[in-house]
Amino acid sequence: MSRLGWRIAAALVTLGFFAFLTFANFVPEATRVASPLLPDKGLRLGLDLQGGIHWVLGVRLKEAEQQELAFLAESLREFAKEDGGFSVDSAAVEGGRLVVRAAAEGDRKEVREWAQRAGLVLASEVDDSLAYEMSSDARKAVRDRGMAQVLEVLRRRIADPIRGIPDSVVTGQGEGRVLVQIPGGQIDRTRARNLLAVTGHLEFKIVQDQAPSEELLRAKHPDGLPAATEIATERDKETDRVLTAYLLPEQASITGDYLQDARVSFDRQQRPIVEFQFNTEGGRIFSDLTAEQIGQQLAIVLDDRVYSAPNIRSRIGSRGQIEGRFSSQEAADLAVVLRSGSLPIPVAIEEERTVGPALGADSIASGLEASLLGAVVIVVFALVYYRTAGIYASLSLFANLLLLMGIMSLFEATLTLPGIAGIVLTLVSAIDANVIILERIREEVRGGKTPRAAIATGFSKAFWTITDANLTTLITALVLFEYGTGPIKGFAVTLSIGVVTSVFAALIYTRLLFSVHPGNRPVATLSI
Amino acid sequence: MLEIIPPETHIDFVGRRRIAYVFSALMLCAGIAGAAIRGVRFGIDFAGGTEVAVRFEAGAAVEDGALRELVTACGVQDPTVVRYGETAAPEYLIRFNKLAEGEAALADCPLAAEQREELAAVDEATGADKAAPGTTAVVDRLTLAMRETFGALEIRSVDYVGPQVGSELRRDGIKAMAIAVVMILAYIGYRFSSRFAPGAVVAIVHDVAITAGVFAIFGLEFDLQVLAALLAILGYSLNDTIIIYDRVRENMELRTKHDLFDLVNRSVNQTLSRTLLTALLSLAAVLCLLVLGGDVIFPFALAMAIGVFVGTYSTVYIAAPIMLYLEQRFGGGVRDAGSKSGGRPGPKDGGKKARVQAA
Repeated sequence: MSRLGWRIAAALVTLGFFAFLTFANFVPEATRVASPLLPDKGLRLGLDLQGGIHWVLGVRLKEAEQQELAFLAESLREFAKEDGGFSVDSAAVEGGRLVVRAAAEGDRKEVREWAQRAGLVLASEVDDSLAYEMSSDARKAVRDRGMAQVLEVLRRRIADPIRGIPDSVVTGQGEGRVLVQIPGGQIDRTRARNLLAVTGHLEFKIVQDQAPSEELLRAKHPDGLPAATEIATERDKETDRVLTAYLLPEQASITGDYLQDARVSFDRQQRPIVEFQFNTEGGRIFSDLTAEQIGQQLAIVLDDRVYSAPNIRSRIGSRGQIEGRFSSQEAADLAVVLRSGSLPIPVAIEEERTVGPALGADSIASGLEASLLGAVVIVVFALVYYRTAGIYASLSLFANLLLLMGIMSLFEATLTLPGIAGIVLTLVSAIDANVIILERIREEVRGGKTPRAAIATGFSKAFWTITDANLTTLITALVLFEYGTGPIKGFAVTLSIGVVTSVFAALIYTRLLFSVHPGNRPVATLSI
Repeated sequence: MLEIIPPETHIDFVGRRRIAYVFSALMLCAGIAGAAIRGVRFGIDFAGGTEVAVRFEAGAAVEDGALRELVTACGVQDPTVVRYGETAAPEYLIRFNKLAEGEAALADCPLAAEQREELAAVDEATGADKAAPGTTAVVDRLTLAMRETFGALEIRSVDYVGPQVGSELRRDGIKAMAIAVVMILAYIGYRFSSRFAPGAVVAIVHDVAITAGVFAIFGLEFDLQVLAALLAILGYSLNDTIIIYDRVRENMELRTKHDLFDLVNRSVNQTLSRTLLTALLSLAAVLCLLVLGGDVIFPFALAMAIGVFVGTYSTVYIAAPIMLYLEQRFGGGVRDAGSKSGGRPGPKDGGKKARVQAA
């Protein structure tokens, strides 16, 4: 094969490949997955085109810091009492600081030593009260851990490949932000919002007292409830009638955060139960707790509601079970909730971009219409203005579109409505590259060059002009991609790929067409 | 052969630069005055707020006042309720920035007790404040209440941008713009000469400012899409400018002795047909978007359409004259402009061009 033959072959193979990728997008997904030949995935549609819920959640990381300080306050009190042999009058979180009061200087000295070990920084000291803040390292560690937990829990609830909502996305986005995307009208907004529930908050508490109803329980404590206790009830699942009211400590003995797994199982009577397993640390706490409290009742509290309160008959290790009066469906639901764990820090919706499926479909239709008409206008103009060369430009324009869509499919990029606008602008930059070349060739012809020489000079002179002009556009597009959010990003994706493909198409494909005709044939005039 | 510009055209563009400067200055002042008097209308992307687009069933008896009352009853302060489109199925855009506070705010929302409880349960589960459950919770209630009152409906879109996010988006937008400008300045300084760069930058800032000014004068809304359009305009205008610069450089290399003034003018004229052709085609494509692209893309297309005009004008009347001025002032003037500019882009240029020709 001649050199030109090879070039044509290479061009056709490349185009064929990208055309294949482009048109594979029109095959239904099930067929694509089933077929060994077709790629499983391709171009994805943005939520603005296919409809869906787009949320940016703000994670209340301040709350995580508060929780950590509260935890430290608790451990200080415990340490002072049990190991340290000193006493503090109070240790509590006040205005984002851990404030410790101790009358004796000796006790304060112990507190200072403890604080140093705990990574706390003294913020102020007035008389007998010491106010501590977390060091910036400790604060960052707490925030990072909180963020990781939130992401993990939301992923399991929403974006789990098996149990989650198909094709949904949960990703971290900068400091304290989570992006949630749920495509299509799969779920209504209220239900979706429920997925962000802090629920799934599982606690284990030792029962201090109980009665058949809340009133009766309160009647047993005429002077008010003991300090740091609260009432929680167990209710019948059908009638919601209170079965038992329990007096429980406010502070849980152990929480669901230590849970590793939960699954449905059956007891000897073939009634569904939920089996759970703690991680190593949780197992140790649980084992100590159950050893200490043999004979007591342990309430299993989920979202402030008692599920069951079995007696502790012996020390339990890291595995346990919840026997409620469950149906198998309820047991399965509970297992999912336990497994998903609780959201350790509440989240709030800070940005929402939800598009109904109908508007998405309208946008696709109008976007396609606009692009098609744009292409037609450009092609008609090129044919009228440049004649044969116009055919070349149009063919190269078409090749450019195939390249652009093919590359986007290859990278499984997301096409959005601003992305479609980017495609329209790509058409413009593609035709512009051709105009630069063709105008230059015309100029060279006017300058007295033979057609062949004019084509060669035209392309070589236009090369750097086109490259310079489009490189700057590429710079803008890349900056947009890097710093842009939402709609801007989709625009930047098609624009940056489109700039590259349009330069490539003009310099390679248009050139190739000129090599085919007139090629090396001596022609008197050019149809340009 | 069809020709949009006859080859022997020689328009004295650079000579009319003063008129252009005055014209641009007037445009800019008008824009600034517009922004100062009417204030820049930021869309919810930058200002924060909520926008709900809803479409009722064809023939539904929806009335502006009743709808506004309903929205207010569901815990919204000062909503804007606008009907848009002329279809049989009434379409409304509901916008608001502030929610009513206090637990009583949501009390008048006409909801069934069951719905009320379900929503309250969700609020509680998500840790929302009872007195101020937040925009999303209000939109959920509003949707149900509208369905209850006006019959079947379709929520076309919900956009909510929290105050925090709004200011961040604004900051990021400005940052992106600044970084793009600096990088472009560096690129032109590198590829051409440091005397070429300021003209290009003044031109793109000029284009962006005037387009933004037109938006301000007509009280059009400024949102993320418009920002994207401004950046696209920036790229477009630059593209134009560089093509003229490229020709100026080429002409400088061609002859060692030249009148710089005449050279720039000739370069602009030589590239004029391309400049106009591309502008026309861009405009055609953008008009397609404007007319057929739908409501969502409309602001983008509108900004682009203005930008194509301004971008083309600024290339010819702003970028080139500034470059000429800097070149005359600091570039060694008329006599050795050739050798100097010939040497500048030289090292990479000569070699690369030779290679291209060989290929």
